[in-house]
Amino acid sequence: MKTNNVILGLGLAALLTTVAGTAVAKEHKLLNVSYDPTRELYVEFNAAFTKYWKNKTGDDVTVQQSHAGSSKQARAVIDGLQADVVTLALAYDVDAIVEKGRLLSADWQKRFPHNSAPYTSTIVFLVRKGNPKGIKDWDDLVKPGVKLIPANPKTSGAARWAYLSAWGYALKKYGNDEAKAKEFVAKFYQNAPVLDTGARGATTTFIQREIGDVLVGWENEAYLALKEYGADKFEIVTPSISILAEPSVALVEKVAKKKGTEAIAKAYLEYLYSEEGQEIAGRNFYRPRSEAALAKYGDQFAKVELFTIDEVFGGWKKAQETHFKDGGVFDQISRR
Amino acid sequence: MAAQPVERIVAQPAEVDVQSLLRRIEELEQAVKIQDRKRELSEEAAVEKAKATPTASIGAGGFQIRTADTNFVLKLRGYVHADARFYPDDVSTGTRNDTFLMRRVRPIIEGTVAQRFDYRIMLDFPSGSPTSAGNNGLLQDAYLNARLYPWLQIQAGKFKEPVGLERIQSGANLLFVERGYPTQLVPNRDAGLQIHGDVFGGGLRYEVGVFNGVANGGSGDNEQGDDDKDVAARLFATPFGKSDNDWLRGLGFGVAGTYGEQSGALRSLTSPGQQTIFAYTTGTGAVGSPNATADGTIWRVSPQAYYYVGPFGIFGEYVFSSQDARQVEGPTIIRDTLRNRAWQVAASWFLTGEDNSFKAVTPKQPFVLGGEGWGAFELTARYGQLDVDDDTFPNFANPGTAATKASSWGVGLNWHLNRNVKLSLNYEQSNFEGGNSPLLNNGEKAILTRAQISF
Repeated sequence: MKTNNVILGLGLAALLTTVAGTAVAKEHKLLNVSYDPTRELYVEFNAAFTKYWKNKTGDDVTVQQSHAGSSKQARAVIDGLQADVVTLALAYDVDAIVEKGRLLSADWQKRFPHNSAPYTSTIVFLVRKGNPKGIKDWDDLVKPGVKLIPANPKTSGAARWAYLSAWGYALKKYGNDEAKAKEFVAKFYQNAPVLDTGARGATTTFIQREIGDVLVGWENEAYLALKEYGADKFEIVTPSISILAEPSVALVEKVAKKKGTEAIAKAYLEYLYSEEGQEIAGRNFYRPRSEAALAKYGDQFAKVELFTIDEVFGGWKKAQETHFKDGGVFDQISRR
Repeated sequence: MAAQPVERIVAQPAEVDVQSLLRRIEELEQAVKIQDRKRELSEEAAVEKAKATPTASIGAGGFQIRTADTNFVLKLRGYVHADARFYPDDVSTGTRNDTFLMRRVRPIIEGTVAQRFDYRIMLDFPSGSPTSAGNNGLLQDAYLNARLYPWLQIQAGKFKEPVGLERIQSGANLLFVERGYPTQLVPNRDAGLQIHGDVFGGGLRYEVGVFNGVANGGSGDNEQGDDDKDVAARLFATPFGKSDNDWLRGLGFGVAGTYGEQSGALRSLTSPGQQTIFAYTTGTGAVGSPNATADGTIWRVSPQAYYYVGPFGIFGEYVFSSQDARQVEGPTIIRDTLRNRAWQVAASWFLTGEDNSFKAVTPKQPFVLGGEGWGAFELTARYGQLDVDDDTFPNFANPGTAATKASSWGVGLNWHLNRNVKLSLNYEQSNFEGGNSPLLNNGEKAILTRAQISF
């Protein structure tokens, strides 16, 4: 038998096997690798999407969730965690998957509306009932004797947003004086006795372990804490200025293609922009993009002046290089 | 200094200190909580670090090092067969060849790199290791297997061709000391490329590959003298493999075959006692010294099945082999197609109640010296036949020295002391048709024993 015929036969066999393997699939499974405080959001959203997909196609879909600090999750995907989609706290973590994992294309932000950020949030303060330390704005956080509970910017998306919020406030206060901003943020972290690896861990430290005077973190996490633990125990303080946090979503193209879930994974992320997806985001204290959902849920958020990372820091890449890389500003000011 | 009332001296600082003490208590409480939380976080970090730390382990499955995510694994394994062969009436058959021997001495290095790429290197240092230009007998397995999907894997290197059922079974899991007749009509190890996988939820396994091609029972890793390649394929179904029904779960059946071109030497056939009972004519090819070789199309087909339920297990296979051959004697060349057949049925029963399996069986109670456990005892029995094509004689084999047919039965006892140690005792009795040697005339009675350690 000639070699060419043999190779052709093997190719046909592989093709037939591929078709057979595809045809027997009955249930779709997706893995959404997300950041720390989105557990409740995606429990509700996944149930809605499962129902939507069943009605649309007749197929069953099971969405598994994985949660931890955003940067830690990005690292896990780079190291091989088979995520069909990522819904992370910041665009830089998705960029890391592009650069180090080469699992999706560099223009991923153009694949979905609003730069692939279907909802937004910001950084606020959660204080104990009665606000015993009289916290009103960022200045109050650097006073002696005030104990802050932020997470660790090295591992947590929320913590990076919080760090940049404090820096942005200081720049505005001191007329863009970088040295004074650095001094301000250094005092901020001197008042932080514990740095958890993720936002949910910081919440645990503040609420369950009863440590500290102020939890500095996600707006949605603060409202969720009020809902779960009661407004008689905590209060939300919204600072005069904060950062517009835009958590990013992306299809992990290579993994989804390999698993044959590309279409359903894309539909999953698109559904975040649907009216139902936006409603769910609003119900879970994220700021929706859709006008209808924003009109319905916007009143639950206090008014705050928001600045973007592009305006103040020139984008995530520059902010990462300056502040969070090994040996960056955060490492310099957090050495004790 | 005027004296002050005692109660005023005591009361004044006390009023001031209450608030101060409360604050200090609160601060101390916070300090303790902070320390506790830091310890918690430190412990969590240690657990996370431990999860990411590579682990080394040693046990019944050998020595293993692996990363926490199991993407990289290195295993050191192996097995040794220390055999003895006794032929009670070898004086009457004219063969005095009772012997101890090292049948297999096989260190194995295997593992995984980058999550999806498995590798295996198995060497062999047996007594009288045969090595030739076409086959490095010391190198049994050396291959890479890419696990792209459960249903699509690609394997390249030297490994067993996917044909004979008993041949595919690991040497460490054999029922009998020596494999039966069908194994002598199928390829052993060969160099090539194979795609394989499980479909229908694991209910059907397929294997199809292209190989250099080897003679019946032979191994090879370096094609000598031609460009042609063989295709080997096997389909094996275990349709109830995931069923809860004990009576059906252990059923497997399938068919395998090869097709290709083969030239070169033809291999001898042996008895269960590993004595040669048939050999093709080998000479110089000159007048008076004829030489028979493979020369043309070779194809084989082998239906096969097994069934395991509780302690009972049985398997059977049939092999039909067709080989174009030629005999050269001076200017005379004779061509023919030689069609040989072999089959066997083998069964076993675990007296100690273990679940029987095509793979390794672990005793319920391993043997403990002075303890209660005695390991697992397995009774075995088999019957098989080999039928050499009548057209083989007289041009391709000497009818005076070669058998045309062999029938053998055997019984045995396997004592699995534990998962790693097995002692085997077999009695094999064979009768032969054709030929006129003491062995072929009187038949063979063989006692074969084996001490096996595998890990």
